[in-house]
Amino acid sequence: MNTWLIRRTLGAAVTLLVAVTLVFFLMRLTPGDPLSRLGEERPLPPEAVAALKARYGLDQPLPRQYAAFVGGLLRGDLGASIEHNGRPVTALLAERLPPTLLLGGTALLLNFSFGIWLGVWQAARHGSRADRAATLVTLVAYAMPSFWLGIVLIWAFATELRWFPVGFMRTPWLSADAGWWARLTDLGWHLVLPALTLSVSTMAATVRFQRAAMIEALGSDAVRTARSKGLPERRVRWGHAWRNALGPVLALFGLWLPLLVAGSVFVEQVFSWPGLGSLVAEAIGSRDYPVVMGATLLVATAVVAGNLLADLLHRWLDPRLRAP
Amino acid sequence: MTPTRLCTIVALLVLGGAPPLAAQQAPRGTLVIAIPREPVAPIPSLWRNDQASREVSDLLFLHLADPDPAYRLGDERAWVPRLARRWTRRDSLTLAFELDPRARWEDGTPVTSRDVVLGLERGRNPALAAQTATLLTRIDRVTAEGDRVVVVRFAQAYGEQFYDAVFHAPPLPAHLLSGIAPESLATSGFVAQPVGNGPYRYSRRVAGQQLELVANDGFFLGKPGIGRVLFLTVGSPEARAAMLLAGEVDALENIFALPNWARLEKLPEYHVYPLPGLGLNYSSFNSRANGDTTLPHPLFADVAVRRALALALDRERMSRAAYGPLTRPPGAPVSALVARAVDAPPAPPHDTAAARRLLTASGWTDHDGDGILDKDGRALQFRLMVPSVSASRIRMATEMQEAWRRMGVAAELDLVEPAVFTERRNALRFDMDMYGVNQDPTPSGLTQSWSCAGIGGSNVLRYCNPRVDSLLARAQVQGRGAPRTYGQALRLIAADAPVIFLAALVAGTPVHRRFTGVRIRPESTWADVWRWSLRPGAALERDRR
Repeated sequence: MNTWLIRRTLGAAVTLLVAVTLVFFLMRLTPGDPLSRLGEERPLPPEAVAALKARYGLDQPLPRQYAAFVGGLLRGDLGASIEHNGRPVTALLAERLPPTLLLGGTALLLNFSFGIWLGVWQAARHGSRADRAATLVTLVAYAMPSFWLGIVLIWAFATELRWFPVGFMRTPWLSADAGWWARLTDLGWHLVLPALTLSVSTMAATVRFQRAAMIEALGSDAVRTARSKGLPERRVRWGHAWRNALGPVLALFGLWLPLLVAGSVFVEQVFSWPGLGSLVAEAIGSRDYPVVMGATLLVATAVVAGNLLADLLHRWLDPRLRAP
Repeated sequence: MTPTRLCTIVALLVLGGAPPLAAQQAPRGTLVIAIPREPVAPIPSLWRNDQASREVSDLLFLHLADPDPAYRLGDERAWVPRLARRWTRRDSLTLAFELDPRARWEDGTPVTSRDVVLGLERGRNPALAAQTATLLTRIDRVTAEGDRVVVVRFAQAYGEQFYDAVFHAPPLPAHLLSGIAPESLATSGFVAQPVGNGPYRYSRRVAGQQLELVANDGFFLGKPGIGRVLFLTVGSPEARAAMLLAGEVDALENIFALPNWARLEKLPEYHVYPLPGLGLNYSSFNSRANGDTTLPHPLFADVAVRRALALALDRERMSRAAYGPLTRPPGAPVSALVARAVDAPPAPPHDTAAARRLLTASGWTDHDGDGILDKDGRALQFRLMVPSVSASRIRMATEMQEAWRRMGVAAELDLVEPAVFTERRNALRFDMDMYGVNQDPTPSGLTQSWSCAGIGGSNVLRYCNPRVDSLLARAQVQGRGAPRTYGQALRLIAADAPVIFLAALVAGTPVHRRFTGVRIRPESTWADVWRWSLRPGAALERDRR
């Protein structure tokens, strides 16, 4: 197990390095000048352009820029944002990451809790009218673009019914001295629409995966044996069949862990959620290389960690994978 | 008079003279403004190209003087005193400002002449504020005479010295910033908690969501009417429109920049204030060959082609459809605000017949019958570069494409990201583009973009007409005759047709009717909110928090 883990971790580190290296060079090969927005309306004088390039290391040859980036990375320094007046990228990401994690985490929780339950529920009613109706609903949900769904939810529940706010993570005029309960309920109220929007399509996929795996597990010999022993159906379903049907869903979990960081870019824009979404979208548009690289590192880390975690859980659940 | 009657009169006087309890406790209100970008650094000298930062900064850091409502920027007697209580002209090159002794920084320190010198020094430092510095090159030196008097000396005599001295670089607190290296200011603690001298104080910032200002009740020009101003960052136009519909914001910059503005404009809770702005949109012809600036452009070097393409467009209708009913096409490179200060020519009428005649006279006919005009074997076709994020400009470009197609001109739209757009425009790697700019509020800004001297700077298109230069130079030093001379220069530019002038933006700024005394400034939309107040009885829940 230890050798496997070391090998896997090293592999993950190499993947991470390759990902950020690729993005580093691709971003710089993409047309567009990182100083362009500063001179959008009134071009900067050549000496000011030269000074800014020197300040952000853009006057250096590409290999030297890359070496400086990797060197900084090893020291935990992601550089300074061009768009944000030289603010450290780590400070910007630290400010914006918690809201994104909160939204992504809530969506992931909704996705797996409800998705698994509905998948199991459907599998137990396999072929029934209720199963077919639920399949149709999940198919529609799966095909729905999240930004479109967000706009529809805002129109229905925020502007028309006014049950929920149009956007943001907290009520803008809520006093800074408000008690923890007021702040918590306010946060929950703001989370409903964006978390629902973000989780709907992924939840539909979870339902479909869980349903298929569960149908297979419910037909297995192990489940037939459990039933023949007279175990209650609930225990058979959740204690025996579900454990065997968890593999594909765990693989999905690994796939969707990056959702915590990257999946919400569009949804954050629609709901004015103050997370990484708007920061990254602006940074890409204005070619703010340091911020794009910092965000890439975060997303790549989430992808690699998600896959590693999924593998670990898989091995923990399936003893056959642990065999030497 | 009996004691009983006396007591009754006294009681009536006391009760009648005192405001009712409800009025005593009436909230001063919270003004919620939605803005499209986060104000990253609302500190003078750090604004760079960021209008949001500048507008917030104008509530924190006062200028020496503000423009009068008629915007007579070239007339130094018309300006409204702010930090400076009076000013005198010592000679044609020297202005002296006397500071108002009541002016204080938030921490109680008086505003002194050293603060004014520091603000202008930082604004003139190209390493810190490159764009402001290019505007202030004609200031020779700024000196303090004691604590209360600042003398600004100019390198040459010109009509807008006063504007340069007061508009671009407000005073900064020398007692707080002297210990911070200029290049470190952007990352210093001062940016996180700036100390200003304006009607509002910086209260808090929620990263990516809002910036909150609270009234500076000790403001020397009077207590602000509104207690709190919240600037909410709402990047998506759809979200800004939804917030207006849901009543979650009190004001935003331009209703016509939102989807379905015709519906939003009719919301009964909001009054839409017209705001002649600084925005100017035009479609530029590249006079040089696309990508090779040594050669003339094969199509657009011919002024007849440029004029014909302009005449073929119904700009009146197009500009209204894209930017709202208040916007009109200009006849020259002047925004709606600057147009007030000059004798600007009107936009030429839509005349497709004249356009066809011009092209035919220039030799453009459909020789090969493919539906596209051609001349000497070259088809009249080109690419029109459009920034992919601007829905209005894409809409206009599509209409232009269609109008030209009907005349036998083929334009292919080239949608590119803003960063690519600016890079290609500055390198002259395009045929035509759809450009939008916020002009300076004075006509003297024309020199930067439309004179031969501006080439290499703001004059990206390399437009050069010595007669225009001479008129612009004359207008800058003229007094009363300046509007006419500027008008002559503008007519020459219009005749040369280096661009197609599409829209001089007049925004519609919706403000909730619960506010009174609303006045909106064209160059800094929210700078006067301290003079607004909440109507009695119009408070909402958010005003009481």
